[in-house]
Amino acid sequence: MLTLLRDLRRLRRDLDLPGPGRGRSLALRHVDAGSCNGCEHELTLVTSPYHDLERFGLGVVASPRHADVLLVTGAVTRRMREPLLVAYAAMPEPRRVAALGDCALGCALLGSPGELVGPVEDVLPVDVRIPGCPPPPDAIAAALLRLVDGTL
Amino acid sequence: MTGYRDRIAAALADGWRFAGLHATDGGGAVLVLLARADGSTLLERAAVEEGLAPTIVDIVPAAQWDEREAHDLHGVRFDGHEPLRPLADHDLDLASWTVPVRGRDAYQVAVGPIHAGVIESGHFRFHVVGERILHLDARLFYKYRGLERAAEGATLAEGLSYVRRACAACSVANAVAYAHACEEALGLDAPAGLARARTLLLELERLWNHLNDVGAVCAGTGLAAGTARFAGLTERCRRLNGALTGHRFLSGSVALGGSALELDADAARAAREEVVAIADDAKRGWRELLFNASFQDRLPEIGVLTRADAERLGTVGPAARASGVAEDLRTAGARLAYDGFSPAAPRRVAGDVQARLEQRAVELTQTFALLDGLLDGPLRSVAAVNGGVQAQVGVGRVESARGATTCVVERGGDRIERLRLRTASYANWPSVAHAAVGDLLPDFPLINKSFELCYACVDR
Repeated sequence: MLTLLRDLRRLRRDLDLPGPGRGRSLALRHVDAGSCNGCEHELTLVTSPYHDLERFGLGVVASPRHADVLLVTGAVTRRMREPLLVAYAAMPEPRRVAALGDCALGCALLGSPGELVGPVEDVLPVDVRIPGCPPPPDAIAAALLRLVDGTL
Repeated sequence: MTGYRDRIAAALADGWRFAGLHATDGGGAVLVLLARADGSTLLERAAVEEGLAPTIVDIVPAAQWDEREAHDLHGVRFDGHEPLRPLADHDLDLASWTVPVRGRDAYQVAVGPIHAGVIESGHFRFHVVGERILHLDARLFYKYRGLERAAEGATLAEGLSYVRRACAACSVANAVAYAHACEEALGLDAPAGLARARTLLLELERLWNHLNDVGAVCAGTGLAAGTARFAGLTERCRRLNGALTGHRFLSGSVALGGSALELDADAARAAREEVVAIADDAKRGWRELLFNASFQDRLPEIGVLTRADAERLGTVGPAARASGVAEDLRTAGARLAYDGFSPAAPRRVAGDVQARLEQRAVELTQTFALLDGLLDGPLRSVAAVNGGVQAQVGVGRVESARGATTCVVERGGDRIERLRLRTASYANWPSVAHAAVGDLLPDFPLINKSFELCYACVDR
């Protein structure tokens, strides 16, 4: 197995083939802070065969303890504020927060005043903004790839 | 006080089914909606005296969540509903909202509100012995945004955006139920063109949801190939939705008092061809699932919901039909273009994960056939016509991908006085908790996926 891998690497170098390209990866943890389920459905399709983000080293992990990026959807509800903060606190540093979708960014929020805390940036420092209602998988993929490339 | 209970008991004996209960008049009254298979509806009202209304939960167990919600959000107590556990209220200690489970080796497993995958927020508290589930308390409403209350005072046309915001996966069904409720109250009828446009949107929504739900069961069993194939098909449906309406979830395509949706002959033909291509690929994908023995072995006799339990709990939609309750609002199809529709059933009406999965497959066949007819020719914008009698209250009922979704609109002139959206997910969550009892904890994700309910639809 190891011999095979070494041979492959040598072959790639000798033939000047493109390498794995992105030598890095990012582990994502999603938190639904009060969405309408649209961002979740689009985020799920980012792993569909059409985009397949895993091949770029981007995967959704089960725990915030394993995550580099917290992907937050929805305007934060009163009841989700605490769980969101707990998830963020559980992440190792360095960590990033991505606000996914118009609600998370605070656009045209609807709801009773006492129930909505507001956009994600009212609760956590936001590094990446992905607009759209909901943002289609292409837009989510493009934003996350910019993040893994370090251009964001 | 007893008159209200007697009237409801008599109506139930007469073939009416419970379709929702909500507090109205600022907690001054309780309104119960009853419905019949032919699409007719009946409202029964009870006055709330000194904060107390008679309960109906002993004669209609399906009203349990509704009464608990009316208490938490509108302060109505129900005489005889004991204990009235909190549903939407969260700031209470554990013992107040969980059913006490005691005995040797019984313990609790808490899951959520944040789950391990890309899933909406909600909390499950399993009471287990070893891995066996004895009882499940589902606590939702983490995403409660107070949309119904926020919509009060808005114009009927503005109300659509609140209803749409409730849930993206059921955006069309919820919007059509709301539009029907408003149009009934305004005395507006749907001409054939309007019925066709809305039926098309409803079936496009069912198409991607059912394909997504088949993929979800594959994910629940860890079958990556099935998950990938059906995720790919879901993506194609969303792209089709985007091409037809400009929005991948068809959001904004349902209007009040008409439809602005226009498709020329070429666009309709292209869409029809794409639906046929999706149908072919879906059939191939389904055959692969059928002949995958290790996948099929995982499905039967898990998460069983018997017909008696489905009727008692008021289960709706594919989940109810997979348990032998042959009810589908498309049969009545008032204001929609479902002439001659009859509900589908799986070969094995066992109420388990396999039956619910196969139910999706047989319904997909129906949806492909319906879409083929609905896309046969161009579509033009059309307005509703005056025809009915105006009323203060309107009711809309629509079969969403998850089952009967009901909307009640009480209006004052052109403004919303009270809006209640009771979605199929709301009706079915108690059935999920019930179906999990007796199964193993690691089976729960699969059982849950076989219902594939929304949290957003419930929390609103």
